[in-house]
Parts: sequence; structure tokens; C-alpha cells
Amino acid sequence: MANQKHRILMVSDFFYPNFGGVENHIYYLSQCLLKLGHKVVVVTHAYGNRSGVRYMTGGLKVYYIPWRPFIMQNTLPTLYGTLPIIRTILIREKISLVHGHQAFSTLCHETLMHARTMGYKVVFTDHSLYGFADIGSIHMNKVLQFTLADVSQAICVSHTSKENTVLRSGVPPEKVFVIPNAVDTTMFKPASERPGGSEIVIVVISRLVFRKGADLLVEVIPEVCDLFPNVRFVIGGDGPKRVRLEEMREKHSLQDRVEMLGAVPHSHVRSVLISGHIFLNSSLTEAFCIAILEAASCGLLTVSTRVGGVPEVLPEDMAVLAKPDPGDMVQAIRKAISLLPKIDPQVMHERMRKLYDWRDVAKRTEIVYDRAMKCPNQSLLERLSRYLTCGAWAGKLFCLVMIIDYLFCCLLQLWQPAEDIDEVPDVAGWNRQEGDDFRSFSEN
Amino acid sequence: MDGGISETRPKWRKVAYGGMQPGFDDNHTDDLFLEDMVMNANVVKSELLKVMQDSVSISQYLCIVTLVGLVWTYTLQSNLDENSLLLLDATLLGLGFLVLLLTEEMLSLNQLTYYILNIAFFATGLYVLAPIYQTLTRSISSDSIWAVTVSLIILHLFLHDYSGSTVRASGALKVPNLTSFVSLNASIVASVFVASRLPSRLHVYAVMLFSLQVFLFAPFVTYCIKKYSSRLHLMVSFVLMAATLALLYRLHPQLFVLFLGLLVFVSVVCPYWLIRIQEYKFEINGPWDEAKLCFNITD
Repeated sequence: MANQKHRILMVSDFFYPNFGGVENHIYYLSQCLLKLGHKVVVVTHAYGNRSGVRYMTGGLKVYYIPWRPFIMQNTLPTLYGTLPIIRTILIREKISLVHGHQAFSTLCHETLMHARTMGYKVVFTDHSLYGFADIGSIHMNKVLQFTLADVSQAICVSHTSKENTVLRSGVPPEKVFVIPNAVDTTMFKPASERPGGSEIVIVVISRLVFRKGADLLVEVIPEVCDLFPNVRFVIGGDGPKRVRLEEMREKHSLQDRVEMLGAVPHSHVRSVLISGHIFLNSSLTEAFCIAILEAASCGLLTVSTRVGGVPEVLPEDMAVLAKPDPGDMVQAIRKAISLLPKIDPQVMHERMRKLYDWRDVAKRTEIVYDRAMKCPNQSLLERLSRYLTCGAWAGKLFCLVMIIDYLFCCLLQLWQPAEDIDEVPDVAGWNRQEGDDFRSFSEN
Repeated sequence: MDGGISETRPKWRKVAYGGMQPGFDDNHTDDLFLEDMVMNANVVKSELLKVMQDSVSISQYLCIVTLVGLVWTYTLQSNLDENSLLLLDATLLGLGFLVLLLTEEMLSLNQLTYYILNIAFFATGLYVLAPIYQTLTRSISSDSIWAVTVSLIILHLFLHDYSGSTVRASGALKVPNLTSFVSLNASIVASVFVASRLPSRLHVYAVMLFSLQVFLFAPFVTYCIKKYSSRLHLMVSFVLMAATLALLYRLHPQLFVLFLGLLVFVSVVCPYWLIRIQEYKFEINGPWDEAKLCFNITD
């Protein structure tokens, strides 16, 4: 049973050419699953003129379905609009399991709903944290509850994220697995020689927005520069808060000590990281934080705010954590600077290689897939009863949505029977390439 | 499971690194699960008396708007002539300034001349525009005007910012939001509509000045009183309530009953209701919340 090969459809609004934690996760997970002998197909929406079917490294097939994103890279929620094309892809690719990513991807929610209607097993990965107080979160949580009411298994990227997801959606905790992100340690190697001299460079790479704590940086940087005359900052990233940082730089005349690089393309992140000694993360909320992994893999000592899943990411001796408060952050940086002589980037890198590996992530995800496939098949009525428990009004609404989806699906079956849809022949030998080289992310 | 195995078994740790923890599945739910969750940490138990006291601001403003409505009605019925209206305007203006002088310790001579100059401009502008207001809605039937006026006043009351004032003192911290501007504009349009039904220019001018004075500055003045002393605030409110009820009784006993019911609803029933539904309040906090910054961001 353990060697059962799956045919997996990964679905999310977020995929290459966009960059971020989710995109990385899907790409590396797919590559490793291909290596394990599974078939993986990715579905996302069209990016600019990138529409249709593309192949990526290792024969990873990507469907860019011709739906335009309308806000923050999300497709317009239409509930049923994507059913015909998703149904065709599912049948054409002879998919056995659907894996959706990210709670605010509308395409993911819609596809999971259609897949459940058509009787597929579905797995959902949640990559983010949400509060419970504001109106946006309340609505998002209801949508998540709808999707998770009927998934076979769910995955979260950290234990904090699991707690959050269980609270938000009310799924039983034993259905939720914790499988963290990983880092491609071959891509983030430390420099052969550490930047020398008495100067200490602190690197910040993040989008300069409120949630990433750009305002904390504005308070912390002048204080640190004042305390340590040999410290220099390198800030990579762009965003609405960039103006505030530049104002701060001018107000304290730190132009020669704070370098602002603007947006850093992902392929250049390593070269920025290896120019520094300490990596500073000031996020106010974070489910996992891949940036810390990348920095640690490059041999940098991390100073971070203690928020969300961050304390779970690194062993205590590899990172200095602080409260999200300027005074405490400065203390943490002071501690990090005193620890710095004891840090050997090469040793750090070797440790990271043992701690995080995408192949390990893929193997653990494989177990979740096996579990999902063992879940019993359920009739529409059994599934509707699950939706009914979601709330007095929402439950009935969810049931109605599912019933219409089912009818729509029956109609499509009459109009275009599954037997009439061509199946794609499997191209053998794609995944026979040797070596661990899955670096060519942007070759396509 | 016997004791020997569980002793040799390594302890589960809440960490994400190092791959799958030996002896535990990825869906292992430990006793530590949700240990950092805090429920109802910031819920403030409110007291009935305190809520009732706060609701007085609402009743007070309801009275002020009702008084404006009464003045409109009396003017339209020709019970109030233009001279007494102008006298009323001047009295109100004087009273308002007196209150400001007594409550605002910051008011300097400079600021006072600034206010007076502004009001002079304002009054002159209104006088020039009065003929236009008078003929503005001549082609529209009176019924439509009354209907629109009533809906605008209701809109005004719904969106009004009862906690502060739209016209603010210089240096006040709170920035008024969009709804309070919509509310203010609704009241001004309503006054224009009412004024356009009046017989003479001077009438229009007097009524417009009166309505604008009240809608623009009454919240500001009451805000100043409230800030100065809550006891004075309560006293002023009760005087206003009594006056409104008396005048309404003279106009129509049914209206009196209706308004009394409204006041009781606002200052007794609603606070009680709020206290009752407090127990359904359920707040969850935990490590997943966005961290709050402990300093002010000055953009």
C-alpha cells in the first residue's frame, strides 16, 4: 500500500511566475513527488500572456487556465464558472487526488468543491494565519470552514498554524497534519569566505508592509546604528512603507549605513544574504517564514520577532527571538552581535541540510495522500449532513451550493460524457533524470 | 501500551525542524495543543448605570434634532416670525460662544477673532444665497420635499458621530470619518429643503442660519460641555429633554408619547439589552494574532 502511486493535481492561484512561500512550496513539493514516481499536474490561473499548458523542469505539467486574476492575484469567485474546465482536466489527466493550497485562493476553494462533487479525495494545505476579530477574517473563516468540512485530510505548515486552522474551521485535530516548508539548501549555500573586517552587516529582506513589521524597523535601525558604530544595514524589498524607512534614513543621516536595494528578485536573494552576518526578520504575523530558513541556510544568524510559527522554525541556538517591541529587538540584536564570533556559516549550513529537506517533506506528504485515499467514499447525502453542521444559516447555504454544483456536474456529464474526453498518455522517462538538481525554476 | 515503552519514547516537542518526530505521526495532537490560547482576555464587563449614562449623549442629540424640527414646524405654520427667528439665532450664537469661553481654557483672543471672522463670512454668504434657496425646489411638490427631509434627518441620526464632533477644535486628535461627513451633509440638505418652502427671503435666511448653527456647532458645543464636566452634561441633557417633551406636548400629545417612548428605549431598554447580550461575547487570542505595536506610527 505504501508504494501506491498517486496522480496528483496541485491547485492554487499562486504559482510561478509569481514568487512567495506558497509558490515555492508547490514547486518543490511537486518536483520531489515526481521524483518519488507520482504524477503531478499543477493548475493555476493565467499570468499575463502565460496561458495554456506549460512544462517545467522534470516534466511538471502546468495548466494556466484562462481566468484573469481580479485582486491580489485571485480569480473572481464565481462558484461554478471553473467547473467545466476543472472537470475536463481531472478526467483528461486521470487524476486520483486533488491537493489545494492557501486559504485565500478562490481557485483552490472552487476546485476542491468540484473535486468533492465528482468524488475525488482532496487534501488542503493552509499556509497562513488568521485572526478572529475583524470582518474580513470572519468571512474568510466561514469559507475555510466550508472547504474543510469535506476535505479528506488537511496539512498545516506549523503547529501554531494547525491550532489556528482547527479553531477557525472546527475540523477534528487528528485530520490536520503538520508538515513544514523546507529550503533548497543547494541553492542557499554560504559564501566560501565570510565578509571580513570589523564591520557587521545586518540584512533585511521582506516586503516593506505593515504586516512584515516595517514600522518596527523604523524604530530599531537608528537605535542600533547609534549603539554599534560598526553595524551597517542592507534592506531588500519594496512596498508602501519604503517611504517611511527612507524618511528615517534621512532624519538620522544614516545614508551611508543603511542601504536600500528595492525589490530583490528571488535569484539574487542568496547574493544579498551572503553579504551579511545577521538576518533580521520583523514580521508581526507569520505562519512559518521561509526567509529565515534561507538566511540560516546561507549561514546567517537570525534575529526575529517571536510571532506565530516562528519559534518552531529554528533550534534555539540558531536564532535570537524577541518580543515585537523596539527595545527588546535592540537587546536581541545586541545578543546576536555578541554571539556572532561563535557562528560558523559552514556548520550552520550543514545543520540546516539535516533539519530541512524537500524530499522529507514530500515523503511526509505522501503519507497524508495514502491516508486520504483510504478515506471511505461518501454519498452526496452523507456529505450534505456535514455541511449542515457548519452553522444555522451558513450550513443551509453551503448545502444549497453543493446541491447546485452536483446538478451542474450531472448536466455536464450529459452534455459532454466523461468517455468522450481524451485521456492524456503518460510520457514515460520524464522523471528518470538523476541528481538532485531542481534549481532551474525560471527556465520555462 | 505499557509503561516501559512510553518511558523510552522521546518527548514530543512543538517544533517544525528536523523532519518527522520519531514515534509520532504528523497529525499527532499533543496535550500542549492550544495551550497558548487565551479566551476573553480583553472583554470589559460594562455596568448598566455606566452604559445608561453614555446613552444620554444620544438622547441629548435626539432632543436637539427634535427641537430643530419643532422650530421648522412653527416657522412653516407662521407661528414664528422672522424677527424672533433672528433673535433666536443671535441668542444661540452668543450662548455657544459663552460655553466655549467657559469650557475651553485654550481659547485665546487670536482664536476668538478667527472664529468671529469665519462666522461673519458664513452669515454674509448665506444671506447672499438665500434667494437661490428660496426658489430652489419650486418645481417639486411639497409632499416629496417632506418625505425626503424626513428620510434625510433619519439618515443623519443614524450616521451621526455621537462620541465626538465633526467640526473639531484645532489640535483635536480624532479625525472625523466618512460617515460623519455624510451625516452632516444629509442634515444640511434637509435644512435647505425645508427653507425652500418658506414665504420670504429673510425667513429662509433665518431658518438656514439657525439649522446650520445647530447641525454644525451643537455637537461641538455639547462635546465641550461633556469634556468639561459630566455632571453639567447630564444637567443640560435633562433640561433639553424636559423642554423638548413640553414643546412636543403643546404641539401634539401623540408625538409626546412617541418621543417619550423613544427616549426610554434609547436610555433604558438598549443599555439593558447590551448588557444582556454581553454574555454571548467570545473572544479568542493566541500566538497566531498579529502582534500589536506598542508605539504610535506617525505618518
